[in-house]
Amino acid sequence: MEEIKGALALIGYGLAAIGPGVGIGIVVGNAIQAMARQPEAAGMARTTMFLGIAFTEALALIGFVLFFIA
Amino acid sequence: MKWRSRVLLLGLAVMAIAVAIYSTSIPEAHECDTAKEIICAPTNVVELFEHKEALFSMGPFDVTRTVFLIFLATLIVVAALYFAFRTPKIVPGKFGVVMESMVSFVRDDVAKGTIGPDGGRYAPYLLAVFLLVLVGNLFELLPLINFPITSRMAIPAMLAVFTWVIFVFVGFAKNGFAYVWGIIWPKSVPLGLRWLVGLIEFVSTFLLRPITLAVRLFANLVAGHLMLTLLLASGWLFFSSAGEIGARALIGVPWFAFGLLIFAFEFVVIVLQAYIFTLLSAVYIQTSVHPEH
Repeated sequence: MEEIKGALALIGYGLAAIGPGVGIGIVVGNAIQAMARQPEAAGMARTTMFLGIAFTEALALIGFVLFFIA
Repeated sequence: MKWRSRVLLLGLAVMAIAVAIYSTSIPEAHECDTAKEIICAPTNVVELFEHKEALFSMGPFDVTRTVFLIFLATLIVVAALYFAFRTPKIVPGKFGVVMESMVSFVRDDVAKGTIGPDGGRYAPYLLAVFLLVLVGNLFELLPLINFPITSRMAIPAMLAVFTWVIFVFVGFAKNGFAYVWGIIWPKSVPLGLRWLVGLIEFVSTFLLRPITLAVRLFANLVAGHLMLTLLLASGWLFFSSAGEIGARALIGVPWFAFGLLIFAFEFVVIVLQAYIFTLLSAVYIQTSVHPEH
């Protein structure tokens, strides 16, 4: 058996990116559905979509920062 | 048509200079032992996490390149606003139209659209934040600067603290102590769970909000800067050592191409992050103005 090398923080970042990846997919997918059903409300849906992306993305970014701190 | 193509050429030239600076940021590429360490601490990356030597000192303050860039960004924002609105015209020039559309975007779409009809009161703060973050982010792609000042944690953290102070102050001014009480003792939740929800809400409102607001901007810019440096510089490293490794230098082509793709993508990230920072500040202020929503 060879020695396993590398930073554990990398695996941590990978794990931290799973949830937000799924989450952003759900947010954007539902926003597209809303825009397609009600094109006149597209502006509102877009603003809310960016808000949702920003909130979801924060988790992945905290993981990214912890990778540097660890 | 001629004017447009001239602008396009100028933009491409600026981009090429910026890409070249990113590519050659590895110090003495030929002295790197490519077999062991591909990246020999590029100066661009060092600047992200350590303070370089001071350009000059004023008393106890060391003015590094980053500090100088912060003042430069502030100066650019103030000068742009001053020259755009020094003499208000009925039909503004090209520059005036750009600045006016930015101001009306922040005031009407972000401030009034999020906070409500009385959102105009917070528009000056939101506009200042938007322009400073936008210019600070744009420094990432400007040649000879090539360093986003918002990727030093101090800038986003300070802006997030300003937003925190404003939304807490507004909450107390509009609703008195009922503002905090409504957060830690929410009436709409069943009594058994109310303390738990209140605890989570308290931590998320007063601690996590400013932290995530700052970290979101900071981490996006650090990630973009790192990706640009690593991709472009490693591509260039392969090209420049073509004499030693022969045809294997072609490995650098996909790296370099991916770096160019990321370079274009960063424009989107830069504008989007400035927008999101401003929008979230407005949303946080809105939850203090109308806490029942």
